Amino acid sequence: MTVPPPVLSVRGLSVRFLMPHGRPVAAVTDARFDVLPGECLALLGESGCGKSVLASALLGLLPGNAQTAGEALLGDLNLLTADERTLAGTVRGRRIGLVPQSPAAHLTPVRTIRSQLGEVISELKGIRRGARLQHAVLAAAGRAGFPEDHLDRHPHQLSGGLAQRAATALALVGDAPLLLADEPTTGLDRELVDRTVDELRRHVDARSGAAGHGLLMITHDLAAAERIADRVAVMYAGRIVELGEADAFFGAPGPRHPYSRRLLQALPDRAFTAIPGMPPELGDLPDGCAFAARCERATGLCSTRPPTVDGISCHHPHQGPEAAPYTLMRKGADRA
Amino acid sequence: MLELRSVTAGYARNEPVFDDVSLTVTPGEAVGLVGPSGCGKSTLARVAALLHRPDSGAVVLDGEPVRHWRHRAPRAQRTAFGVVFQQPRLSADPRLTLSDLIEEPLRATGRRETARERVAELAGTVGLTQDLLGRRPHEVSDGQLQRACLARALILRPRWLICDEMTAMLDASTTAALVAVVESYRSATGAGLLAVGHDRTLLERWCDHTVHWENLTASPTPGNSL
Amino acid sequence: MTCESPSAGATAEPTPSLTATTPWRSYGGRRRSTRTSRVRVSAVVAGATVLAVLLVPPLVQLDQQAVDLSAELLPPSWAHPFGTDDVGRDLLLRCVYGLRVSLTVGLVAALTAAVLGIAVGATAGALGGWADRAMMRAVDTISSVPHLLLGVFIVAMFRPGVWPVVVSVGLTHWVSTARIVRAEVLSLRSRPYIDAAISGGASRRRIAVRHLIPAVLPQAGLAATLMVPHAMWHESALSFLGLGLPAHLASLGNLIQGARGSLLAGQWWPTLFPGLLIIIPTLAVAGLAGAWRERINPRRRSELML
Repeated sequence: MTVPPPVLSVRGLSVRFLMPHGRPVAAVTDARFDVLPGECLALLGESGCGKSVLASALLGLLPGNAQTAGEALLGDLNLLTADERTLAGTVRGRRIGLVPQSPAAHLTPVRTIRSQLGEVISELKGIRRGARLQHAVLAAAGRAGFPEDHLDRHPHQLSGGLAQRAATALALVGDAPLLLADEPTTGLDRELVDRTVDELRRHVDARSGAAGHGLLMITHDLAAAERIADRVAVMYAGRIVELGEADAFFGAPGPRHPYSRRLLQALPDRAFTAIPGMPPELGDLPDGCAFAARCERATGLCSTRPPTVDGISCHHPHQGPEAAPYTLMRKGADRA
Repeated sequence: MLELRSVTAGYARNEPVFDDVSLTVTPGEAVGLVGPSGCGKSTLARVAALLHRPDSGAVVLDGEPVRHWRHRAPRAQRTAFGVVFQQPRLSADPRLTLSDLIEEPLRATGRRETARERVAELAGTVGLTQDLLGRRPHEVSDGQLQRACLARALILRPRWLICDEMTAMLDASTTAALVAVVESYRSATGAGLLAVGHDRTLLERWCDHTVHWENLTASPTPGNSL
Repeated sequence: MTCESPSAGATAEPTPSLTATTPWRSYGGRRRSTRTSRVRVSAVVAGATVLAVLLVPPLVQLDQQAVDLSAELLPPSWAHPFGTDDVGRDLLLRCVYGLRVSLTVGLVAALTAAVLGIAVGATAGALGGWADRAMMRAVDTISSVPHLLLGVFIVAMFRPGVWPVVVSVGLTHWVSTARIVRAEVLSLRSRPYIDAAISGGASRRRIAVRHLIPAVLPQAGLAATLMVPHAMWHESALSFLGLGLPAHLASLGNLIQGARGSLLAGQWWPTLFPGLLIIIPTLAVAGLAGAWRERINPRRRSELML
């Protein structure tokens, strides 16, 4: 089976902010990953680790004091060098659909969901009015599971879950090959989180092969990521420290980078223990591994930058999936 | 003993957010209240912390019914509560540095002398560095700011802690860290806790027992279906 | 998109493979520069206006009232850049003096209005309940009467002079500040950090002094700043109607009023220049106020970060 070309290919993406005083803030450093068609990649990390900056960089929405390096290829278009007209006219909504963090803030408060969907459809699809537009609105609402009888409501008349579906419906209108979901589940309760991510997953699964949609979900919600991701990328202090299969990450043998492993252990249904200390400032990163100061496996070697091998940036990673026999053996030994 | 006896509360006349809710927290006990978003559990938390006057029903604090609310409540009564809210950004005055933020309750109650050392001590407890204490809210992350908000809630050594979705915006590690801080404070002081949230797994792990919102309200809450 | 100077490569970026070769691309630089240049122009114009008004009269020992009947209604020239009026007075000098009077009236009136507005708005917002309702109904009543009409009424009660105009402008213009301040206080009052302060034992006064008033001041200051040109316009309008400053005191309104006759005769300069002097400082103040508004918006600062 041949691997289809990626929907999004990020190579050496770095973003830094120039500050009026002091050193530049290195928000994202040398990120590299692909999003394949029909795949969901979850970008995990705590608040302030740079993952939202990465999303803004992909959409061309960085503030004026930002500088970028590297490339983010959407097809043959480098999103980092494309000008604003290209991004606004052909990329946002058409080639990248954005599922926003806070749907209540994303929807226009004074207009009904029907009129907002209609506007986006006529803008993106050129269907101006009449029965065809109405039909397209119903289809778009149906795609995101938004109930027809709620179309004439205003955003404030919707529950959190329905507002999220309305925002998802808007994001899906352009039938963009890449969906970018930036913390789509913040503030939702568990049931709504599950429904929201299931709908995103359904959209990704709707088509197969090279025509499939890719989903990049940026989140700090490990449970949501476990539910839908095919692969996970863990970001720490602006760098992707681990990139691997979701099954191996959440199941056995578990995360390989010490940070990811400790992060997972902090979940209330696991060990529920915090990682000691706090992440370093992005304006004052150490030369070596940024996690070394909090890491129990750290040695003198960790004051040098670890190479990235098999998606892991660590001098002392935990055992990987290729060492599965060893893991199984040890598990068996434990049981015995 | 903190008792809410058939409390009805809301923000507009004749439109209660919830109706006839009773809940009791005994000293040293940790009660988790689980409910879906928008069900009114945050309003309940504010009523319990004397920050919102209920339309009817009574809040009884150590056997004594509460008669006044917000700043009209006697200072000793309202400072018996430490509150932490969901969104640290909205819970912090953007003009104060983190150390001013933490020591504000001491200054407001005229105990400025002890402020410095208490702030240093609490900063260590919640894991804030000296460098962070000099910054303003917009210069720190959500997690760091929530640590400061928790320190502020603990600085008057409250007998009751009310945590309203304290960790909803935070990553797993910061969540675990803040819960550990709350628990070690409680085991040292015997304070009672009302933790309100939507994450059942978290609250069941954290609290002695958890109550589900639907079992608490006599009538189903309207406008809450998907 | 421009590439940055080689210094970018020299900063301590921890990726050896990238550092040497990666050119950092600046982002959105153009948008920022138009904004700063707008602010700069506004600042220069406002500064020049204030300097001219402060320095020209004492330094240039010329009599603005010097009548020269041989030079009446001369169009702009090197000797008289703004031309002369119908009794041969130099218009540039008259305009500077006029601007000085108008600006003074504007500043004092705006200050009066701001203080009154903050006091009423903050009290109404902080007290709430019936006190709030009563005060805001009074505000509504005042603002339902056209400003100019009310202004004329107040001026008419006094002898013509500077103070009646200041009082008239001050008393008619505080209502908008009061509304802004009240709305701000109301929205702040429901913030969780006020709840946290209450639980922290803060008294009502402490909450006002420590949390509410400092938060409201920048907004109120902005409203007061924007009030200065407004007050100047009001003064000019009163003077134009002949109800403002006495005719011998050059104010921008007086100058335009006096030039009405010559405008009909085709002499444009006695109206144009005083008119421009009302408009240009207004734009400069608006430009500076816009920059200030962006500065005080805490969101802008956090957006630059993460």
